[in-house]
Amino acid sequence: MKLTRRLMISAFGLAMTMAMPSFASAEGLIAIITPSHDNPFFKAEAVGAEARAKELGYDTVVMVHDDDPNKQLELFNTAIGQGVKAIILDNAGADATVAAVQAAKDAGIPSFLIDREIKESGIAVSQIVSNNYQGAQLGAEEFVRLMGEEGKYAELLGREADTNAGIRSSGYHDIIDQYPDMEMVAQQTANWSQTEAYTVMETILQANPDIKGVISGNDTMAMGAWAALEAAGRTDVIVVGFDGSNDVRDSIKAGGIKATVLQPAYRQAQLAVEQADKYLKTGSTGVDEKQLMDCILINADNADKLETFALAE
Amino acid sequence: MMRAMTAILGLSLGLMELGACKIVPNPEPGSESAASQTDDDRMAAKAGEIYAAQLVPYVAQKAIELPTLTGALQGGFDAAGQAHGVRPQAEGSPWNFLLKGQGTVIEANRESRAATMALDTTGDNQADVTIQLGPVIKGTALRDAADFIVFTDYRDQIEFAKLARALNDRAHGAVKLPEGDLTGKTFRFEGAATLRTATDPILVVPTLLEAAP
Repeated sequence: MKLTRRLMISAFGLAMTMAMPSFASAEGLIAIITPSHDNPFFKAEAVGAEARAKELGYDTVVMVHDDDPNKQLELFNTAIGQGVKAIILDNAGADATVAAVQAAKDAGIPSFLIDREIKESGIAVSQIVSNNYQGAQLGAEEFVRLMGEEGKYAELLGREADTNAGIRSSGYHDIIDQYPDMEMVAQQTANWSQTEAYTVMETILQANPDIKGVISGNDTMAMGAWAALEAAGRTDVIVVGFDGSNDVRDSIKAGGIKATVLQPAYRQAQLAVEQADKYLKTGSTGVDEKQLMDCILINADNADKLETFALAE
Repeated sequence: MMRAMTAILGLSLGLMELGACKIVPNPEPGSESAASQTDDDRMAAKAGEIYAAQLVPYVAQKAIELPTLTGALQGGFDAAGQAHGVRPQAEGSPWNFLLKGQGTVIEANRESRAATMALDTTGDNQADVTIQLGPVIKGTALRDAADFIVFTDYRDQIEFAKLARALNDRAHGAVKLPEGDLTGKTFRFEGAATLRTATDPILVVPTLLEAAP
């Protein structure tokens, strides 16, 4: 059913969706738009949002923008044409997304943003994001501790257009730079990508064979870096990630990557749907538009409790 | 006229309070200088605007005595938070408390860049509260304990984080302590602390710290 609908939307677009009769569910349709599900983080968001929406009686349509603002705008137009009740969005760029969310608002469709902010307030109804600054500081404190407060390290940065790349780096350095014996020998972007991180790590290793640690802006890059380090026989290098993925959890349990920072992505997506539901029923979410959710440090002590971007009690 | 008065008052206050701050002319909106002003500069200016004028009096007015908090924590963390705390409206946010008290220095660490001193406020020779002295002040307690500072009013997390840093810098800048060993000296304090659990150590960012007679 879901696959069929997704195909229909992409194949026939606006005309077809306009012609389609209303959906069977009582509460209407909610669009869930995220980056590619290749990254399990975004998949967890989509799964979390979809599950909560169904529990609350909504039908869902799940779409991916692949971090392409043009594609995102097309998806918004599709969703608007389809007459969705609300849009749950992990967006494709802090600046570029403003127009898409504004277009939905103009069409009377409220947007509820998760994970990434846009650079304006008053357009989306909610922006629920992980407290990346707090989380990055947690990760950096653990990294410094693991490094014994000294040594050469590299930093892998996320995609530049993404606010979260900047804020995590800034949180890392607010801690690490307080330690004069921590020396950053390389700082490069790998655009959140595992394969890019592998290549970048290989290059960094060649130039800095005496490197002791790598702090990464997300888990997929940490996985790429770890694979390159393993291939080079450098499993002594301390790697710390960010996100709290199952892949990194498994690596931590196997003694590979040392730590990561959990963003409560699953809960965040569910919360966005709950706020959408409340807004649709009462005209208000009852909370501020922009909300910061705290992150949690994951290391060998609690990795066991981590599953799909949520920590068991 | 009113506005001019306010501006003059603001400027003179600014001059008095912000010895280490540089006065920058108001840039023309949309001009190059407005665009080239960094987040750090803008948030430092914002912190200068609100710290002495709003935040310090806010803490002074709302702070509760330390034993009021420790007593309330016995009755449960969330109950203590509901009764005395401030927290942002996001799910999972920790409670922030505005506190005041007086105590004797049990231990001081002035070597670290994240300098602290631990105070005994009850006379049992045990530390009950730790005051952050800086220059590195950890956390965002000062920002998050202020109910008039709301994330939605800021462009993004970067700006909001830099505001927290700038407020911490102000707090550090206002700390005036005698040189040498502080152990045994008595201080009065007001400030903010973030607690994630009832058993977290109470780590106060001071908005007032003065030697008690």
